[in-house]
Amino acid sequence: MSLPLIELKNIEKSYDGNLILDDLNLSVKENSFVTLLGPSGCGKTTTLRIIGGFETPDKGSVLFNGQDITSMPANRRPLNTVFQKYALFTHMSIAENIAFGLRIRKKPQSYIDDKIRYALKLVNLEGFENRSVDSLSGGQQQRIAIARAIVNEPKLLLLDEPLGALDLKLRQDMQYELIRLKNELGITFIYVTHDQEEALTMSDTIVVMNKGYIQQMGTPEQIYNEPENAFVADFIGESNIVDGIMLRDELVEIFGAKFVCVDKGFGVNKPVDVVIRPEDIDLVKPEDGTLCGVVTHLIFKGVHYEMEVTTPDGFEWLVHSTDMFPVGQKVGIHVDPFDIQIMNKPESEDEEAAGVNE
Amino acid sequence: MKKTRFRKFLEDFYLVLTLLFLYAPIVVMMVLSFNGSKSRSQWGGFTFEWYRHMFESASIVEALYNTLLIAFLSALIATVLGTAAALGIGSMKKVTKSVYMGVNNIPMLNSDIVTGISLMLMFIAFGVSLGFKTILLAHISFNVPYVLLSVMPKLKQTSRSTYEAALDLGAEPVTAFFKVVFPDIMPGVLSGFLMAFTMSLDDFIITHFTRGAGINTLSTLIYSEVRRGIRPTMYALSTVIFVTVLTLLLIANFSPAKHPSRSDGGAGAALTRKAPGGNSFQRFVLIAAAFLVVAGVSGVTWQHLTASASDELYVYNWGEYIDESVIDRFTEETGIQVTYDLFETNEEMYPVIEAGAVRYDVVCPSDYMIQRMAENELLAEINFDNVPNIANIGPEYMEWSRAFDPDNLYSVPYTWGTVGIIYNTKRIEELGVPAPTKWADLWDERYAGEILMQDSVRDAFTVALKRLGYSLNSTDPAELREAADLLLAQKPLVQAYVVDQVRDKMLNGEAAVGVIYSGELLYLREEAEALGLDYELEYVVPEEGTNIWIDSWVIPYNARNKENAEKWINFLCRPDIAKKNFEYITYATPNFAARWILDEDQRRDPDVFPDLTQMTNSEVYRYLGTEAEDRYNELWKEIKAQ
Repeated sequence: MSLPLIELKNIEKSYDGNLILDDLNLSVKENSFVTLLGPSGCGKTTTLRIIGGFETPDKGSVLFNGQDITSMPANRRPLNTVFQKYALFTHMSIAENIAFGLRIRKKPQSYIDDKIRYALKLVNLEGFENRSVDSLSGGQQQRIAIARAIVNEPKLLLLDEPLGALDLKLRQDMQYELIRLKNELGITFIYVTHDQEEALTMSDTIVVMNKGYIQQMGTPEQIYNEPENAFVADFIGESNIVDGIMLRDELVEIFGAKFVCVDKGFGVNKPVDVVIRPEDIDLVKPEDGTLCGVVTHLIFKGVHYEMEVTTPDGFEWLVHSTDMFPVGQKVGIHVDPFDIQIMNKPESEDEEAAGVNE
Repeated sequence: MKKTRFRKFLEDFYLVLTLLFLYAPIVVMMVLSFNGSKSRSQWGGFTFEWYRHMFESASIVEALYNTLLIAFLSALIATVLGTAAALGIGSMKKVTKSVYMGVNNIPMLNSDIVTGISLMLMFIAFGVSLGFKTILLAHISFNVPYVLLSVMPKLKQTSRSTYEAALDLGAEPVTAFFKVVFPDIMPGVLSGFLMAFTMSLDDFIITHFTRGAGINTLSTLIYSEVRRGIRPTMYALSTVIFVTVLTLLLIANFSPAKHPSRSDGGAGAALTRKAPGGNSFQRFVLIAAAFLVVAGVSGVTWQHLTASASDELYVYNWGEYIDESVIDRFTEETGIQVTYDLFETNEEMYPVIEAGAVRYDVVCPSDYMIQRMAENELLAEINFDNVPNIANIGPEYMEWSRAFDPDNLYSVPYTWGTVGIIYNTKRIEELGVPAPTKWADLWDERYAGEILMQDSVRDAFTVALKRLGYSLNSTDPAELREAADLLLAQKPLVQAYVVDQVRDKMLNGEAAVGVIYSGELLYLREEAEALGLDYELEYVVPEEGTNIWIDSWVIPYNARNKENAEKWINFLCRPDIAKKNFEYITYATPNFAARWILDEDQRRDPDVFPDLTQMTNSEVYRYLGTEAEDRYNELWKEIKAQ
């Protein structure tokens, strides 16, 4: 197996006594698209800035191709960053912006000219050389920021919420654009976002972070379908997270009703968290359901209906379905065994933050 | 419709009125700078005379040079320091940042006089001799906060990520700063520089306290002329300054702006809003800056190289109280470098000598102040063996000097004069009053609203005390009370209490009679002739006797170049030199040898040169002590307040 391109080992970082990153370990393989996902303050941006060289970790080391770069200043690192607010140099033309890194490296003018043309073509902004930064839209500025970074042919591109300032439509266009760029250039992307949809759409690997810990790392499918704890389940998509008791392998009791599932190894009569996605709940006739409830809310969402079903114990189940059940109707709840995700209950808050996979 | 038009008119009217209030004084000054007459209210034809005079005057050119050099250097250094400080403070945490910004604001809010005095005390306490460098240091210190205040908002606008982006693209921190951060904050830096430059250009108070011998900026130079009335040359100079500052502001505001869309808050907003970003402008500023630096450095070095200890002389004199060519001639003949400094009042000069912060070698105070200095042992005895030309001074003046220098040990008379009444012959004829001959005539009710009194305690009391037949050096409370009551009784008749406006008002025919120093007479006559007045201005020394004042050269106790000071005094006592000075100053000279070589009618002018032997009831001011001074001031305040 080849060495990881970038590796973080036992990284610890705190500001003013607040621990931001606690014993963080992460390794990123060459040519992958890794997304650091989490709510604000989870430490994802700090992680990126440590890789970029803008922050120094209190403890731990950063390895690049096996070489320790922990104390290497930002300007010597063989990687480039695309900043959240583009950080273009407003007193320079577009061409000068793109040429900045190349000029620092004292590349010949003809090389620089070729690179500018190539980069502008790559980001679909041919002919923009002499425009001023202020005359560009947000999306165009973002493309220039990317062009400015990639002309330096970095092995690794760090992107810090690059689409955060764009509107929804533009954001979706840029998502495809980024994927295309990554595939054309063949470089490794580490991408920071708090937008779970963006993460699911673009990444090979998602790293879900919370309170300075990695909660779960995996493919988008793994993260979505098999969240390892309540935080991940809650953060990725919408979920029903309920208390359950694992009666034995493959059988869990929720609100007194017994559901067949596919999970094993939790022991006998063990309290657990149970995650069921809203779209995985089938509403059936009351007599066919494992649990019974009444529809208390109904909203048409376009692709589907969003309903709330309240069961006698008072829990409101979120249900997505293309079938409509009017408010007040009694319904039965059915869930297929493989749609039930069982998780250990955290024993303390620390453990909740740290996640159960460690 | 009609209403809106009226409203528009009112708006315009208000605007015009506002502008008028703001600029009328400057326009008046500019117009007067082209006035052929020295009068402030009579037009004597268009002339460039004052501009020519300005550029010919070595002291003005030097003060201008000092002002610009100090303004430029202090602004430049303050800009570097302030920008660096802004960068540092900008990256601090919020609480620390606000503490530092608060500390930064204090010097700006602090009154200049406090800043000036404390800087002076500090320099003296640490043994830094006052001079060019202390002014420079003082200006740098009060300029830094302005730069900081102008750079901070720009820095706040600049996102830190552009700096990081530059690092990320491989730039070293220094390169990143100059290529990326600096261009962004450039408008703030530039406006900070300009603000610092104008603040320095403007400053009088702090400069006044921190300057040393021989250094004048324009503001201190202009102020030193207050005693003798400000010359029209100064109007010309002020006009030049105004036009220069205006041009700078116009350049700063109308040069091509690169980021017109960006607005910005904080101090200096007006300057930075349309930030000068044009390349040609920046180049211009750079070239101008480089030029000034080279000129400045070479000038300062020259000053240092040419000043060596043994052959120098520090002179402290009134403004406009010497023909400048005389100083050059002294240096030519003796090889002694003269550092020439000005004071405005005796009271201002005294603490300077007393503190010993600046060691002057020779000073020219007035009679009563010489007495005070001698009593406080601030004077050195003059070695008259080194002043053989003392023989040229009329013995009667040495005799009169005994009033304040009993044994003629400390002082050599330089100028003298009387205080008397000037009157407009035509005006008194119209009023049907005989020409005044005595102080008592100033209480004649027929003169109601036609009398100009001197706005100074001793001079005003002289009039009343002399009228009453008391000594003008009286300290008797009863006599003073009586005199004060007399002045109170006169007040309704008085048109105004003024200082040097007496001559302007008399030239304009605004008043019939005025109390005036005889030294003004020659000037008044020249002007009256130049203006072709249809009336004559006559002078009379009142019968009851008056004040005879004498300004004399003395040597302070701590003079370092006493022999040079004696050479200086001796030189000034030479007839040809005394004549030159008389012609320039127009105050009577005690030098009878010089008087002998004057024009016949000047020499015999009884107003300028009254016969002192006949003036037995006149007196010289004596120093009265603080208690009596306080009493005078109390009473004067009472008179002025009513």
